[in-house]
Amino acid sequence: MNELQKQTFTFISRIAPYGSNRPQLCLDTALAAAVFEQQVNYVFMEDGVYQLLKNQDAEAIHTKTIGKTLETLDLYGIGNTYVCKESLESRGLSLGDLVIKPKLTNGDELKTVLNSSDTVINL
Amino acid sequence: MSTLHTISKSPKSQLLSECLTLVDKGDGILFIEDGVYYCANSKVSDDFESDVTWYGLKEDLDARGLKLDDIKTIKIINYQIFVEMCEEFDKVISWF
Repeated sequence: MNELQKQTFTFISRIAPYGSNRPQLCLDTALAAAVFEQQVNYVFMEDGVYQLLKNQDAEAIHTKTIGKTLETLDLYGIGNTYVCKESLESRGLSLGDLVIKPKLTNGDELKTVLNSSDTVINL
Repeated sequence: MSTLHTISKSPKSQLLSECLTLVDKGDGILFIEDGVYYCANSKVSDDFESDVTWYGLKEDLDARGLKLDDIKTIKIINYQIFVEMCEEFDKVISWF
């Protein structure tokens, strides 16, 4: 490859924020991809929607507050964020509870996002 | 565009229902590692949708003593075919 080719990466984060390091790893990988000027989509579904809740403060458990990092996604060029409508609703949450305003998407719309991606990373 | 989804945890994980949210017509779903226990539960496997192709990895089924002679909804494949499928599908999404 003579020059870095631009690809579309979609990251799916399905895990609650502080029970394991997977949500942080997913985020770090996405930020790395964005730094290399790749097209990045970021999808929150299942318990992953809990990462988006306002008022997180992980200092008490000596961890980085994921919600704060998520607020900077746009700054890093990750403007395409999606949240699974069903996952949000089944947890009694709405867009107003979240630190950012991802696109509210249903399963069919998410399938379209996946189909338009070169690589999907599912953490 | 078709995708191969691999599922590698037992049914207790609910991974299949999470995965099905994003499975499209023509996709394949392959059970590997502890995911093969999905194949062993005929109550689950009888309901497998027909617009998706279902696979189970022979090596993992054998290791766990699971026999699927009477289950027609799942194609049994080995590592060799698994590798070929990774090439044939547009992409692989791993669920774990």
